[in-house]
Amino acid sequence: MKMLLSNDPTNVIITGVGGQGNVMASRVLAGMLVNAGFIVTIGETFGMSQRGGSVMSHLRVSSTSVLSPQIPQGRADIVIALEPVEALRVLVKYGNPHVAVLTNSRMVYPMGVITGEFNYPTLDEVKTMFEKISAKNWIIDATSVAVDLGNPVLSNIVMIGALASTSLLPIGRRAFEKEITKSIPAGKREINLKAFDAGAKML
Amino acid sequence: MKVLMSGNEAIARGAYEAGVRFAAAYPGTPSTEILEEFSKYKGVYAEWSPNEKVAVEVAIGAALAGEKAMAVMKHVGVNVAADPIFTVSYTGTNGALVIVSADDPSLHSSQNEQDNRNYAKFAKIPMLEPSDAAEAKEYIKLAFEISEKFDTPVFFRTTTRMSHSKSVVTLKEPEKYIDKTGFTYDAEKYVMVPINARTRRVEVEKRQKALKAFVETFPENKMEINNSEVGIITAGMPYNYAKEVFPDYSYLKLGMVYPLPEKLIREFASKIKKIYVVEEMDPFLEEQIKAMGISVSGKDVFPYTNEFDPGIIKNAIEKNPQETVSPYKESLAPRPPNLCPGCPHRGLFYALRKHKVYVHGDIGCYTLSYMKPLEGLHSCICMGASIGMAHGMSKALKEKGKGKVVGVIGDSTFLHSGITSLLNMAYNNSDALIIILDNSTTAMTGMQEHPGTGYTLMGKEAKKVNLKDLISSLGIENIKVIDPIDQKATRSAIKEELAKAGPSVIIAQRPCALFKRAKIKSKPALKVDPDKCEGCKACLGLNCPPISWKKGVTKEGSKRKGISFIDETLCNGCGLCEQVCKFGAIS
Repeated sequence: MKMLLSNDPTNVIITGVGGQGNVMASRVLAGMLVNAGFIVTIGETFGMSQRGGSVMSHLRVSSTSVLSPQIPQGRADIVIALEPVEALRVLVKYGNPHVAVLTNSRMVYPMGVITGEFNYPTLDEVKTMFEKISAKNWIIDATSVAVDLGNPVLSNIVMIGALASTSLLPIGRRAFEKEITKSIPAGKREINLKAFDAGAKML
Repeated sequence: MKVLMSGNEAIARGAYEAGVRFAAAYPGTPSTEILEEFSKYKGVYAEWSPNEKVAVEVAIGAALAGEKAMAVMKHVGVNVAADPIFTVSYTGTNGALVIVSADDPSLHSSQNEQDNRNYAKFAKIPMLEPSDAAEAKEYIKLAFEISEKFDTPVFFRTTTRMSHSKSVVTLKEPEKYIDKTGFTYDAEKYVMVPINARTRRVEVEKRQKALKAFVETFPENKMEINNSEVGIITAGMPYNYAKEVFPDYSYLKLGMVYPLPEKLIREFASKIKKIYVVEEMDPFLEEQIKAMGISVSGKDVFPYTNEFDPGIIKNAIEKNPQETVSPYKESLAPRPPNLCPGCPHRGLFYALRKHKVYVHGDIGCYTLSYMKPLEGLHSCICMGASIGMAHGMSKALKEKGKGKVVGVIGDSTFLHSGITSLLNMAYNNSDALIIILDNSTTAMTGMQEHPGTGYTLMGKEAKKVNLKDLISSLGIENIKVIDPIDQKATRSAIKEELAKAGPSVIIAQRPCALFKRAKIKSKPALKVDPDKCEGCKACLGLNCPPISWKKGVTKEGSKRKGISFIDETLCNGCGLCEQVCKFGAIS
């Protein structure tokens, strides 16, 4: 059975703070989609930005055509954020009234906020903003679940598990299992599967 | 087999498939993964050289021995390597030589936005530029073919977006490696003294002429005639953006960006009424096309700065008003990159700022310390520059500068291009203090080996340079080694060395907090005792990501307005904040 996308192409942005496992999340998700037969282009920037800065990966998924690695402004369909305010940052540039947002609730304060130079919205304020500017949104505490599993960096996989439960993309547990057999060392697969399952249960 | 590959992975794979078994590089974003990936293939020799000039010279040597050799660097690395590059253009390459230049439009991770296509014209070296990973894999093969056929070095240009984007690539069986190495003696061709170089200079022009004829039929210069009204001449990544927003226009997509196929461009121009040249950064194609007497639009509508995207091209051609895409104009706190939790540089710069000195920096993670609240350095030009600049400033300031001028440099960048400038400081008796931030690795680009780490790119144990001995042999007498997290020792070492006449070097030695091999002994995550914290915010001055401020947590009998809080999931227990707290509230 050939799976279909509800939008073709589907433009996905994965965002977060450098060091949260953003690049890995985008690679695992892209791998799952490629295994399912889709044409995927990933646009990433890494390097200096990984040292605690804002990071963002663009995934463009299609059944028919190869797309450029940059999503045009205002054209994201799905935003997955490992940090809630990073979701807002992405939405300012790439949002539109039809966008769906899935975000981790754990806030990571930028330095300007810690030093008192800038204000940071509360989670309630972020939630209110999402209600205004997105078609659907989910906020989950993926970091706490990852910490319970033994490592906060697993929150990226918890988020992929949760994404599978949203049905926004045609991906499931078997696709995840298949992908990590290729891309994750054997010793780490079980804990990643647990993180995926825990995420899937959160919605 | 079809796989998802980044541009960089595809370049490495393509070189391997083409039978290339020799490559040298110095790491630099966005080029780093090319050599890392290449080094994993069976039967290859790949090395991290101390800098890009050495990498090119190593590759030239291999090419003269008959190998197909590749040298890889980021755009500014070509500046470092420019000297041998301009003259190997004269000698030719015997085997094959391809120089990969990874440019960085938008300065994602660089100090400038230079357009290295200009080097191709300047050094009279042909240049290829792919637009996606599949092309990257095939073009690198063509680059080696052209090098062999025309006895010329060939530039292969990529950009950050090209290098770091992933798309589908079809793997092929690698060509069988044929060992063609041996000695070729030809002093008139390879000894570039004036009398020989004059002869070779003429050969370069002959080669240019032959290449100009070759590009007219080069199959990767592709014409797509879809309509006669509007056409686009472009190359590389911008082709994808233009094609996405204007699929019905006609295209001339250049796979080789230097030299240009003049006849083909004239043919395209004769078929199309209105032509746009779509290129990021410099009007490199545009100026050459205009010099042919062909009327085109280019930088009159497109920006000179930053990388493009589909929207930028659409708005420029349709003359749409600037970016009004999103209705959500929220102002959000910026999130610039920052030193990691437990970073040894934090300790050094926290101690250094107490001395109120002018600090020259160079390129590395520590450059990030220039931001508030650390404000750790006051200049940064390029790799290795801090030592020469500190020396020059100190000489110019004379008495005013005594004890006030410092240069900081990383271990990898010191070995890259700091040694000669330190030799100069000893030779010309400088008063500046140099601090080598030795974190045992090339951290910013992702933990690459260098001559001070004890390992090679291929994972073999290697001779490890002893920095203290090296510096001493240059003629520096005042050398101290400290752990920068130890604030007391760091502060007193800086104080003592600033007070001394003549040049001094402090080696601040502690491995990068992310460096797995180093196995730094960390304590468990630290905690703030809410009974002891007085809310003085001293720890916040460290700019450490886990430490934040909780407003309104007051205490009876204290003026405090809030307390510090440490996020356990982020803290790596380096213990720096513990030393900074005057109230013993952190443990």
